Amino acid sequence: MEFWTTSLGLAKMRPMPNALADGYENFVRDAVRAEGLGFDGYGSGEHHFMYDEFMPIPLQAVAAVAAVTSKIRLCTNAMLLPLYDPIEAAEMAATLDVLSGGRVSLGLGMGYRPYEFDGFDTAKRTRGARLREAMEVIRLATSRESFSYQGKHYQYENESLHPRSIQRPIDQWFCGGTSLQGARRAGAAGLGYWLANSPYDHTEDIVKEYRQAGAEAGFDESQLRVASFKDVCIGNTMEEAEALRQMLIDGFYDEHILGYGYLVDENGQSLYSPSREHPLYRRFTQSLYCGTIETVVEELKRYEKLGMDMVFLPSQQQELIAKEILPEFK
Amino acid sequence: MRVGLSWDLDRFEDASAGWQEVISEVVEADRMGFHSFWIHEGRERPADCPMPSVFLTYLSRKTQSGQLRIAGRRVTHALAPHIVEEVSVLDNFSRGRAGLAFAPASRQGVVPGHVHEMIDFVTSSWATDEMRFRGEHIRFPAHTPDEAPAGASVPDVEGDYVPQWEWGPEMPDFLSITPKPYVPHTPVHVEIDDDETLEWAAQQGISPMVGADMPTEQAARRLARYREIADEAGRSRREIEAVLERRVVLDGETDECTLGGSPRDVLNAIRDLRGKTGISHFVWRRGGATPMDLYRFASEVQVLLQA
Repeated sequence: MEFWTTSLGLAKMRPMPNALADGYENFVRDAVRAEGLGFDGYGSGEHHFMYDEFMPIPLQAVAAVAAVTSKIRLCTNAMLLPLYDPIEAAEMAATLDVLSGGRVSLGLGMGYRPYEFDGFDTAKRTRGARLREAMEVIRLATSRESFSYQGKHYQYENESLHPRSIQRPIDQWFCGGTSLQGARRAGAAGLGYWLANSPYDHTEDIVKEYRQAGAEAGFDESQLRVASFKDVCIGNTMEEAEALRQMLIDGFYDEHILGYGYLVDENGQSLYSPSREHPLYRRFTQSLYCGTIETVVEELKRYEKLGMDMVFLPSQQQELIAKEILPEFK
Repeated sequence: MRVGLSWDLDRFEDASAGWQEVISEVVEADRMGFHSFWIHEGRERPADCPMPSVFLTYLSRKTQSGQLRIAGRRVTHALAPHIVEEVSVLDNFSRGRAGLAFAPASRQGVVPGHVHEMIDFVTSSWATDEMRFRGEHIRFPAHTPDEAPAGASVPDVEGDYVPQWEWGPEMPDFLSITPKPYVPHTPVHVEIDDDETLEWAAQQGISPMVGADMPTEQAARRLARYREIADEAGRSRREIEAVLERRVVLDGETDECTLGGSPRDVLNAIRDLRGKTGISHFVWRRGGATPMDLYRFASEVQVLLQA
């Protein structure tokens, strides 16, 4: 099981205001450190038109990292693919793949914030279909000399991508949140599935659903890869770990989980500013795993046993994780 | 005078090897004091670079001083807000060394007005916070109505501030494209191959660039014409950076697009062009010259062009 991670700095954090260019420096510096600590991948997320100047083009952020690292994978967690022309996205990825010697991994999500779609003149309601089609376009563009594609949303005739990516095709992951529907879609298409933070039991259900859909579609088990974001908060005591989680919730997650329509109910409706008692919000906060070193190792062992190919660990406590947890998995 | 480098990427058969050669030259040239490095957008040949912003962001960690300029940017191969964002991100990673030059309309198969509108959109986005834009080719955000003023417009500021995370499903009429560049006035150029763009750019004070494939005599005429129109429009020379890109062959032959001869000959040719056209930035388009040529140019031409 691989361990990927990220760092702060690609936005101005309200609880810890910082100069953006300094944050960018820190992001690159922390990537070098993560590589030295033994992490396997390092990534940047994406949002647009944000008051905190959130990184809008994650492949550029990891391009800076590529210049000062040699082996860590350079990933997007996630790149909001419906907000790009698929060829534009493939060209960016191929450019970085050449510069980095084939280290690009695309975590690709569909996005959810209404104004982002409005800014890019694309319909939010077609985002799921666009994501799947665009992933197929990227696969074709980075694996064939030339290709044609006739989809509902994207059509290409005899296209060739220059430069040729080093990886043929470029590594792609479908970031489908925590919905069973997303898992089924990814499995049916044979795409690697990267879950959002979710408690273990729900993760297990999603993985089962994904593998079943993949098997029904005729994909071999070895082709079906699964990964998960897994925020862990480690303390000497449970109280200490929970205090860290609360700090993360207050300082970062409440804004991003309660606002913007991140949570989606069983009818597919986005929830804006739901109560903190809402079951979906509670499920999210419970997914931020609290424990001691020993219990965190146990929890991650469960993920390993579930067949996870990768877990994406948080930006905090990386040195502790590298020293006490990663050796248990090598 | 500033002196920079650009590259004929299309001469390489393999992007990995070719780009590594370019990266090595950039690192050396940055140490030698060259002022700028230009990566041209291209997608026809095996080693072309379709996304210079990614290449240059990589170079931002390999260099200390040189300007990192996106060259030949096309308006149809990326969504408009991405062009605004990519330059801002590069500018922050490089702490104010980014620049952007657009390809001429004729090379993109679009009408000149499309390029002009993109430049207006990009520069307006950097200069304002919340804005909307209504043009013939760009509408931002998408639901901007036909009744909105042409070009960029900003909202009346009234009422209490509402944080973004409290907007709910509403789609605001004005959005701020973030981050902003590190410096307030990021250099923007346009290649002036067509008359309509030459005149528009000169009147607007958008800096001109002439690429390596235009014959030198024609390039000089067009840059001189640009200068005339800019002067008539009351544009100050201090707001414009005219860029001329040429191939150079030290100890070689001069032809219609190439400056040749001894380093002193090349120096005099560039000074002559500066006198005729007012260029303040010369870019050597490298097409296979040796590292020794780079050193000779740096020590015998670049330094002496300063005074």
